[in-house]
Amino acid sequence: MQKTPVVSVSGLHKIYGRKNERQYEALKGIDFTIDEGEFVGIMGASGSGKTTLLNLLSTLDTPTSGSVEVNGQDITGFKGKALSDFRSEEIGFIFQDFNLLESLTAKENIALPLSLQGVKKAEISKAVKEVATTLSIENLLSKYPTELSGGQKQRVAAARAIVHRPAIIMGDEPTGALDSKSARDLLDLMTDINKNQHVSVLLVTHDPFSASFCDRILFIQDGQIGQELKKADNNRQTFYQEILNQLGTFEQ
Amino acid sequence: MLTKLSLAGIKNRFKDYLVLLTGLIISAAVFYMFANLATNREFVKSNTQISMASQVFIFGMILLILITIVYIAYANSFLLSMRQHDYGLFMMLGAKKNRIGELVFIETLLIGVISTIVGIVLGIGMSMGLSQILFNQLGLTVHHFNALYWPAIVTTICLYVGLFLLSGIFNLAKLVRTPVLKLLHIDDEVYLSKRRPLVQLTEIVAGILLLAIGYVAMAKIMTLQLLAVPLALVTITLGSYLLFSAVIVGAVELLKQTNFANKKLHNFTLAQIMFRVRSYTRILTIVSLLFALALGAISVGAGFQRQAPQMAKSTSAYTMAINDMDKKEHNLVSQLNDTHTLTYSQKIVDNTVYYNEQEFVDHPLPMLDSRQALNDGSLKTLPISQFKKVALDDMDFTGLVPKNGQQKSEFATQSNFENLNRATTHTVTIIRLNNILAQRKILDRLEKLQQQRFPAPTMATVGGFQTYKMFNALFSGLEFMGFFLGFAFLAMLASCLMFKILSGANKDIVRYNMLNRIGTRRALMKQAVRGEILTLFALPGILGIVDVLFGLQMFKPLMYHPYAMTGWSILIFCVLYGVYYGITTLIYERLVIPKEQMNA
Repeated sequence: MQKTPVVSVSGLHKIYGRKNERQYEALKGIDFTIDEGEFVGIMGASGSGKTTLLNLLSTLDTPTSGSVEVNGQDITGFKGKALSDFRSEEIGFIFQDFNLLESLTAKENIALPLSLQGVKKAEISKAVKEVATTLSIENLLSKYPTELSGGQKQRVAAARAIVHRPAIIMGDEPTGALDSKSARDLLDLMTDINKNQHVSVLLVTHDPFSASFCDRILFIQDGQIGQELKKADNNRQTFYQEILNQLGTFEQ
Repeated sequence: MLTKLSLAGIKNRFKDYLVLLTGLIISAAVFYMFANLATNREFVKSNTQISMASQVFIFGMILLILITIVYIAYANSFLLSMRQHDYGLFMMLGAKKNRIGELVFIETLLIGVISTIVGIVLGIGMSMGLSQILFNQLGLTVHHFNALYWPAIVTTICLYVGLFLLSGIFNLAKLVRTPVLKLLHIDDEVYLSKRRPLVQLTEIVAGILLLAIGYVAMAKIMTLQLLAVPLALVTITLGSYLLFSAVIVGAVELLKQTNFANKKLHNFTLAQIMFRVRSYTRILTIVSLLFALALGAISVGAGFQRQAPQMAKSTSAYTMAINDMDKKEHNLVSQLNDTHTLTYSQKIVDNTVYYNEQEFVDHPLPMLDSRQALNDGSLKTLPISQFKKVALDDMDFTGLVPKNGQQKSEFATQSNFENLNRATTHTVTIIRLNNILAQRKILDRLEKLQQQRFPAPTMATVGGFQTYKMFNALFSGLEFMGFFLGFAFLAMLASCLMFKILSGANKDIVRYNMLNRIGTRRALMKQAVRGEILTLFALPGILGIVDVLFGLQMFKPLMYHPYAMTGWSILIFCVLYGVYYGITTLIYERLVIPKEQMNA
């Protein structure tokens, strides 16, 4: 069965700085696709262009040239309302620093994307309850972020990312601020969401352990995709080793 | 080197400093304006006939000083929060604590001195401008008022520089005592103290009770005398505080249950308001009080302002009587709008002025319905037989004689009047107009011309215009103070609120950034900002208006209709307040709402 790509990127360039000033090319022609239901990781050292790429994919920044298609729409030309609507409907974000609104309860935080789309109250309640059950955070719903641990916060953030059934979840170092146990829980959770809810996931990280949860890893180096690793039928431990080896070759 | 670094820090956060300085400058300017009136004893004495006035000013002064202290405390904590990270960093890099302390102290004091000086200059300008507007628009006459008044300048400098000295010492102590690591990671935690419903209920009941006591105290000012003012101040302040802290949290909690909360960003706005109201309770209380004081001052001022023309109408059936109108005067009279004129012939024999009865039959001279103060100027005309009986005792009629000595008035039948010999003939023209205030300049000129031709040795007042001038002189000082203070308080309260709101923007930047990332339309974010700030503006405004409606009871013993101008002054006030709201919203939107894309 031919899978349709959720994300397809071609010839993506990003140059910072104006003409006749000193320019810096952060992305030097990136091409890749993510198929529906795939769990893809993007790895790279600091300064390799990971964050720039993620910003372009999520429409937070505009490319200098090249195209990004999400769910069949070219998103590089979006402006104003179309931009916001695209973000709120098609993308679910999980950030390193959670980005929860501390003045809202967990429940209200999760409901936010649905409220933005004007979904009715009863439906919102139903959807939030459902997603909370899936992520087993029902007992946290009435709490405020300050009353939650890091791992719990990230679970709430994950719930917010999937409550509106986006085309793709984008995680920007989501385990970066978590202890190892919480990190593992979160990654298991994301795998679970990916496999059972069939949501595509794009994970940006520099941590090999996190990356080992992916189906496929793109290594980005100096603004270009250097290598690609597939998990295929390997188990996670073997894949982890493979990633470490790959990273080792970069070092030399 | 360190000085250079710290200056660079200021440069980077110039926008924040601009907000800080603007707030302080306006505060200093307003304080100067108030001090200008309050410290000018001659002004207070010569412009009010009320002995209470100087005490009222002292109360006002104390209140304003308290507000200034709170205001500077806010400003200082804002300043400190801006700088502590930088200073923490310097210390981590090895700067000595003493040196840092010195820098903090100097910076605080410098900001204080700059804003005080600029503020005083602005205050002088504002005093000048405002007083000019009031003199020209309202026709006020005020004595001993100077926009530039040295004692006021000294008072302002003493208070502000003193307060900033204290703030500097406080900052120094705080920075030197706080561990470096803490300075680097000071991040205000959102505090959430869940309140028990019982406590909340108690707060509401106590708040309403205290407000009620305050309102009753103001209404009973005749029995309580001067005690009413401080009593009302204390109870209303406490009551407002309790009400704000309990009712709003309760109301927001209720709203959150409804369908409204789940639409758009409403839930976010409600949550913001809830959090804000808790940390804002103090400032909202102050603002509602200032709002009430400002609105009250303007209402009372406007009330007195209206009183003079009304008193004029109730003391005489006509505005002015002109003897032997000449060409110049005729020209002036023809410039008046909305007038009634009547002209009667007079013949003077020896010491008696004769009038032609027939003329009064044809054109009866109207008389006041009653000479009570509350009469709104309604008139009656009497049949000639009755008129003749009362007219000779009526000031309006006896006052028609040419003003050059003691004369008595007599009526004569038409034939008798025509046959009077050895008589000098004169005429008298009375004019009556509805709007004295608007045409007072022409009336002034007419009066001058009359006085030149008929110099009167301090005559009993004849005609409404005389009365108007008398009361206008009497009330001018009060009106001027009312308006002046009203606008000063308004400027102070709005900038207080604006400043407090803007100083919270730093935290909101993060929130709105996040909202933008998860795909919130800019229009929705703008709506959220407007709704939130509107609530913060409207709450104290509404309570302030209620305060005023009750507070005007205090003026019942002094004025006929303390509420006459309330509607208008509320309207004017709301417009000005609205302008402040608009400015605050615009600045806030600029500060917190991100662009959809980084480089867009």
